[in-house]
Amino acid sequence: MRVVVADDVMLTRQGIVHLLSSAGIEVVAEAQDAQGLLREVRLARPDVAMVDIRMPPSHTDEGLVAAQVIRDELPQVGVLVLSEYVEPAYAMRLLQEQPERVGYLLKERVFDIATVVDALRRITDGETVIDPTIVARLMSRRRRNNPIAGLSERERQVLGLIAEGMSNRAIAARLFVTERTVEAHVTQIFQKLRLPESPDQHRRVLAVLAFLRS
Amino acid sequence: MQRGRLARLAAGLAALATALGSLAIAIGPGRNTTYAGHSTLAATLSVGAGVGLILAGLVTSFFGSGGRTGDLAVLAGVVWFAPVWVGWNNGPPLVRSVGMLAAGFALPLFMHLILAAPNGRLRGAAARALVLTVYLEAGLVAVALGLVRDPFFDPNCWANCTDNVFLLRSLPGLARGIESAHRWFTVLAAIALVIVIAWRLLTDSGPARRALLPFALPAALLAGAAIAYAVVLRRTPLEDPSQPAFQSIFIVECAAVLLLAAGLVWTTVRMRLQRRAVAQITANLGQAPPPGSLRAALAHAVDDPELRVAYWLPDSQGYVDAEGRPVTEPTTGPGRMLTTLVRDGRKIAVVSHTAALPDLERAIGAAVRLALENERLQAETLAQLEQLRASRVRIVETGDAERRQLERDLHDGAQQSLLALSYDLRLARAQAQSDDDNPTASLLTEATGEAQTALSELRTLAHGIYPAILGEAGLAPAVTSLAETAAVPVEVRGMSEGRYPTAVETATYLLVAEALDDATGRDASHVIVDIFQDGEWLMVMVEDDGRDRTSELVHLADRVGALEGRLIVEPTRLRAELPCE
Repeated sequence: MRVVVADDVMLTRQGIVHLLSSAGIEVVAEAQDAQGLLREVRLARPDVAMVDIRMPPSHTDEGLVAAQVIRDELPQVGVLVLSEYVEPAYAMRLLQEQPERVGYLLKERVFDIATVVDALRRITDGETVIDPTIVARLMSRRRRNNPIAGLSERERQVLGLIAEGMSNRAIAARLFVTERTVEAHVTQIFQKLRLPESPDQHRRVLAVLAFLRS
Repeated sequence: MQRGRLARLAAGLAALATALGSLAIAIGPGRNTTYAGHSTLAATLSVGAGVGLILAGLVTSFFGSGGRTGDLAVLAGVVWFAPVWVGWNNGPPLVRSVGMLAAGFALPLFMHLILAAPNGRLRGAAARALVLTVYLEAGLVAVALGLVRDPFFDPNCWANCTDNVFLLRSLPGLARGIESAHRWFTVLAAIALVIVIAWRLLTDSGPARRALLPFALPAALLAGAAIAYAVVLRRTPLEDPSQPAFQSIFIVECAAVLLLAAGLVWTTVRMRLQRRAVAQITANLGQAPPPGSLRAALAHAVDDPELRVAYWLPDSQGYVDAEGRPVTEPTTGPGRMLTTLVRDGRKIAVVSHTAALPDLERAIGAAVRLALENERLQAETLAQLEQLRASRVRIVETGDAERRQLERDLHDGAQQSLLALSYDLRLARAQAQSDDDNPTASLLTEATGEAQTALSELRTLAHGIYPAILGEAGLAPAVTSLAETAAVPVEVRGMSEGRYPTAVETATYLLVAEALDDATGRDASHVIVDIFQDGEWLMVMVEDDGRDRTSELVHLADRVGALEGRLIVEPTRLRAELPCE
């Protein structure tokens, strides 16, 4: 797998590069700001660009803006945004246009190499990756006449994993159940929440996230 | 003062006597040697013009703005009759000789009067130079002609061909040269007068131009007559009052002098009316006039829409307007002047007004002065309020900027260090695992977890200090984010999607955050947030179903107040109105 890494802090960037290399992932280029990132991505055409959301000059959402440019220009390049913000709004901004091949992880997971590698794999497989913390926050939102309260414990678990962008197969593997069982849960959840079921997994993620945010 | 008035009165009466004497000469021994003697019309106009000027001068002296204008007009009126005394057949030689010398000063005096109108002060270097030059020239010519001109040897003499008591030595050629040069000088002076007046009419502001208008026509007529006289005399060297050309010129001159006299009287009456209006403006202002009404009343009273009042604030050593806004020190311009108003020895204000009312200081009576002092105090209070408000805004802005910076510092400093630490811990753990050192590996795993917790806590802390999403994405995502994390169900009803000034967005965000906390504290089970724009106002409403609130939420009121907004705190409802341009 070929990856471009963009982070303005040299220590962090080198750490990421070192960990990725030791995990057998090829880092084809590094960048320390959004412009450098776009240049390197256009040149190298990597499988995934790993982007820190805060980069010069304003240290706010440059990474997110650059990610959207990459998604528009080169849809085959996946993007994994690393962010310090537990803000569903940012994640949704990333997903809205094209939800496949994108991921939004919290910055503090950057050296949790298993999580990062898993996220990169899922992105290259065309999936969506949403940080569990963000999903947890959306799930725990207080609601009046909360429809989620009508779900069973296991259904809530499955709903959360759908929101994280997982496929039925991945959910089955995570929960040690069969894929068929997961499918039954999904049907049940969508009926209870009155969501239209869609065979397209990306639409499913968007629908669930939109429901959780409403 | 009293003696001055008496002297003026005496001089005026003497001048009128001179005028009557002139009439007697003109219809008697000067019948053939004066213009007035040639026709009843000429006699009427001539005497009317001179007497009119003398009376106008007296009116100006006694009822007008004072200064030299009145005296000047009386003197000009007397000199106007000089040609009649010159033509006094068989009159005393001294009178005729003095008349001959004095007659040349008529035009300089008229020019002086016109250029010093309406307030008796010559303004502008050009006007001063012109008046000084014509006086000097008239003086030189009078002295020179007095010493060398023997009328007996003047082939073109008509009014007086016998008497010059000052004659030192008769030099007819030189005398003729001087007379010729004088005539052409007069033409140049007349042209200069027209240019100065035209320039003023073009450049002066409205009220000054209106004040100048009554003098523009006499100026033009006088200049025209002076030029025509020189031209006609060049063709017909022998002056003859019976000729239509000379007669016409004389009648134009009379008309000009009459108009000049009328202009002086009109100016005096107008100033008097304006002064009375100024003195009475307080009567029409009412009990508590709004700021600036005094200026409007003054402007109306003196018919000068451009009138400005700058109040002096001794504390800040600067000027403000009636609303307390700082203004620059007033300056004069063409046709404008400054009057500094003082009360009990202290400067109250500087008024920039039309030069057509020069003695505003005197016109403003005690009542108006008191009203001005009141308005000054009001302006001072308003200025202090404005300073206070500005400082409140600065305090809030500085606080916000510091929070933002703190959030950034946390990210750039502590967070990066913690990330580096977490990286090192993971490397160390990997090392320990490969060395089969299980106790160390499990310790390092624990440490890694703690580093993660610290990072997560730091993130929460930074978000609490300043929510980055507010600055970057705006109010709507930030408030939605608040609703997502609130401890009570929040229903966001209206949500204005636009961007607003940073201070407004921050205030709104903090207001909603605080209201949600407050609602949680009062055991609310449901909160409604409604944010919408109504014209120039951003309306923020937070309503809950908890117990009645007891706190005043003073800091929120301070923040909203700093933006000149309004916060209404009700038992279970908060309503804020924030100006958002």
